[in-house]
Amino acid sequence: MTELLQLVVNGLVTGSIIAIAAIGLSLVYGILKIVNFAHGDYLTLGAFVAFTVNVTWGFGMAGAALAAIVAVALVGFGLERGLWRPLRRRGSGLIGLFIVSIGLALVLRNVILLVWGARPRRYDVDVFQVYELGPIRLSQSQLVVIVVASTAITLVGLMLARTRLGKGMRALADNRQLAAATGIDADRITTYTWLLAAGLAGLGGVLQGLLQNAFTPSMGFTLLLPIFAAVILGGVGSAYGALVGGLVLGLVMEVSTWSALAGGIPSVYKPVVAFAVLIGVLVLRPQGVLGRARTV
Amino acid sequence: MTGLANVQFWAFVGVVAGIFTIFSLGLQVQFGFAGLLNFGHVAFMAIGAYTMAILVVKTGLSLWIASLIAIAVSMGFGLLLGLPTLRLRADYLAITTIAFGEIVRYLALNEQELTGGPQGTINLEGAGAAARYNDEWLDFQRTVQGWLEVLLGDNATRDVTMLVIVWTVALVAIVLLQILVRSPWGRVLRSIREDEDAASALGKNVFSYRLQALALGAALGAVAGLFFAFQFSFFSPNDFEPLTTFFAYVIVILGGTAKNWGVPLGALIFGFIFAGTRFLDVWPLNTFDSAERAYLRLIIVGLILIGLMAFRPQGILGKREELVVE
Amino acid sequence: MSERDVILEVEDVHKSFGGLAAVAGATFDVERSSITALIGPNGAGKTTLFHVVSGFYKPDHGAVRLDGERIDGSPTHRIVRRGLVRTFQLTKALTRMSVLDNMLVAAPAQPGERMWRVFATPGAVKRREEEVHERALELLSLVGLERLADDYAAVLSGGQRKLLEFARALMTEPSLVMLDEPMAGVNPSLGVELLEHMRELQRERGTTFLLIEHDIDVVMTVSERVVVMSSGAVIADGPPDDVRRNEAVIDAYLGSPHAHEEVHEIAGESSS
Repeated sequence: MTELLQLVVNGLVTGSIIAIAAIGLSLVYGILKIVNFAHGDYLTLGAFVAFTVNVTWGFGMAGAALAAIVAVALVGFGLERGLWRPLRRRGSGLIGLFIVSIGLALVLRNVILLVWGARPRRYDVDVFQVYELGPIRLSQSQLVVIVVASTAITLVGLMLARTRLGKGMRALADNRQLAAATGIDADRITTYTWLLAAGLAGLGGVLQGLLQNAFTPSMGFTLLLPIFAAVILGGVGSAYGALVGGLVLGLVMEVSTWSALAGGIPSVYKPVVAFAVLIGVLVLRPQGVLGRARTV
Repeated sequence: MTGLANVQFWAFVGVVAGIFTIFSLGLQVQFGFAGLLNFGHVAFMAIGAYTMAILVVKTGLSLWIASLIAIAVSMGFGLLLGLPTLRLRADYLAITTIAFGEIVRYLALNEQELTGGPQGTINLEGAGAAARYNDEWLDFQRTVQGWLEVLLGDNATRDVTMLVIVWTVALVAIVLLQILVRSPWGRVLRSIREDEDAASALGKNVFSYRLQALALGAALGAVAGLFFAFQFSFFSPNDFEPLTTFFAYVIVILGGTAKNWGVPLGALIFGFIFAGTRFLDVWPLNTFDSAERAYLRLIIVGLILIGLMAFRPQGILGKREELVVE
Repeated sequence: MSERDVILEVEDVHKSFGGLAAVAGATFDVERSSITALIGPNGAGKTTLFHVVSGFYKPDHGAVRLDGERIDGSPTHRIVRRGLVRTFQLTKALTRMSVLDNMLVAAPAQPGERMWRVFATPGAVKRREEEVHERALELLSLVGLERLADDYAAVLSGGQRKLLEFARALMTEPSLVMLDEPMAGVNPSLGVELLEHMRELQRERGTTFLLIEHDIDVVMTVSERVVVMSSGAVIADGPPDDVRRNEAVIDAYLGSPHAHEEVHEIAGESSS
């Protein structure tokens, strides 16, 4: 039972990072119809910016995380203005933009490699500090991830639920034409969507870097498919869905290694579990979990 | 290696471009002609290469029979992938197929008993045994090399021989595909790519044609995997990352989606970009070391992909009117 | 009811989407070699019914029979091969293919549509291709598109696309053709020719037509029988003159947004 509890906690930790990244990906997907394959590399960028601030410049982790959020949000904004907006105006479709995002992912990851190199990096934090809460053991990083992630998720949730901007985002993600007809300023919301999505990705990257202890430029890409799985699980365009999807996925990935489940699957196959969930969900509901059936 | 003037070097580039031509032709069938956004194409290459190597090393089967089985197994996986996924929306299909490709790679990485694990096929018989699977191939290659020496003399090296063999197969594949594309079969496939409801309203079994395209593409992917395995003597799961599939997309889109002759053109340009960034010693390239050049190369590839989609989505040989990707 | 030769039977078909009933218990049949019109106010469920009959939707309840055999639930392509073809309200011209290719792809029994036959029996493939090529040009000239045969279908106007779709449907060698607003956007003089050709096919080949049409003049002149739908159900069914005077039909049209014009048209009091 202790093992299961521990796995559930680990699952919540992993899941909250996936959720943070998935919220942004889902909003961009739903609002801008961009299947952003570079989203994982936004995470990586955040992790490395924080590395520079924390290790090279010697600031604390909080400042490093803040710098990462701001930097990635600015990159996200810059790419909206310099890349996505011109492409949208040229009338690129879903598939075209998807392929562009693959090109962008290649560019981003290799720029990161060019700047920071391929070596594994770690933050200047105490990796040996462990907290015991009853039978559960939590590393300092895990604790930080849980606290920061749940705070961020709550804030974003409140923002989406309560503010005009948040409501506008959800309306736009649900139905672009309808939202535009009701006088929502789509351009402004697009900008804020990118700032939010990229900023959250930056934060997610820092948290994942902390959690992994050592990270390389391929970190974000490794996380990308579980993030996509969370988005599809929760229904494309639904921020709350992505949140739940992320947590469920984190839990499923961790708990699948539970030894009581026929010995549990080897932990190297955790990502495979996420892919299998993704394929399984789509096979059972080809229109997506919350999607509507295809009409002729 | 002194670079550009070296025949052997260009022969090597040509071999890799030839293998990528065959690989990308498979994607052309699936993506270019059937409109299927298969982003797990590299899995078919992996399945082809691994099935052949495992059969030869572990069961002592002849390389030729093992190769035929490998192609069949890859096609089988194509059907297996297609049955549940071909009804999905394009974006879901793309993500699902990447996941499929990654599952195959993770299996190759972690099922050490079967695949040799992260170090690759050299460990097929356990660590330290240095398993070999391509002796029969090398014999065949030497025979062909003997014929070529009559024509080319000393230039008929191992790489030049491979170049001739790979491109012969690639050209045969292109010609056969060209016949297929211009046939009524290809016409049905194009109609499905454009509007599956229109196609089924004209009595075409959309699902069956997509499955055929997926299986045919899988077979070509497997053939590419076989040549990859023959050429490099051993290989590992790292050779089958999603990046390889993206390269194939660059090649197909660069040459012209739905244009068979665009594929070798795209593959050659792609090969030159790769070799050029590795070996050219001009500014600004000479300010980067070899690892950095590898990153730079991928940045260029990424920029080409973005630039193509922005400015010439129909590729070099494609027609704007038949644009596949908007 | 003796001696009626029925080709299509629709029996108590229901189809709803998320609790909203689009078709609610539609029952009617279509006589072989007839021209039958399906009319009704907007939202009556005509197009949904077409989707059900042509196999795009599976009915929630009820049966559809073609030549006495159940076809509900069969995939569209099998229904087409049994002789029932349909067109779409919003045309589905294959715009990135030539007009001629649009026609050729519709031809049935082309052995070259099997991958292995392309290589195994190229002679048979070529012979069939020549046959259908001839038929395609014949049909194209009939709808006045023969000069555009080699152009991409993308260059066609909305009306021309309707005509192409009509001709393309005939390429499948159907026994029953279901047309969803075939006249919409079509040049009136061409429309008249189209109707004449429908009659000709009906006479010479015994082809059956079932059409959804809003132009009441067309409906009343061309069809031998009119089926009226409202709110998902069939409310009247009979010869045009009977339907014209049916109270329920007039009531149904009064409830619709274009009530006035359409009622006048139905009653034949004034028409444009």
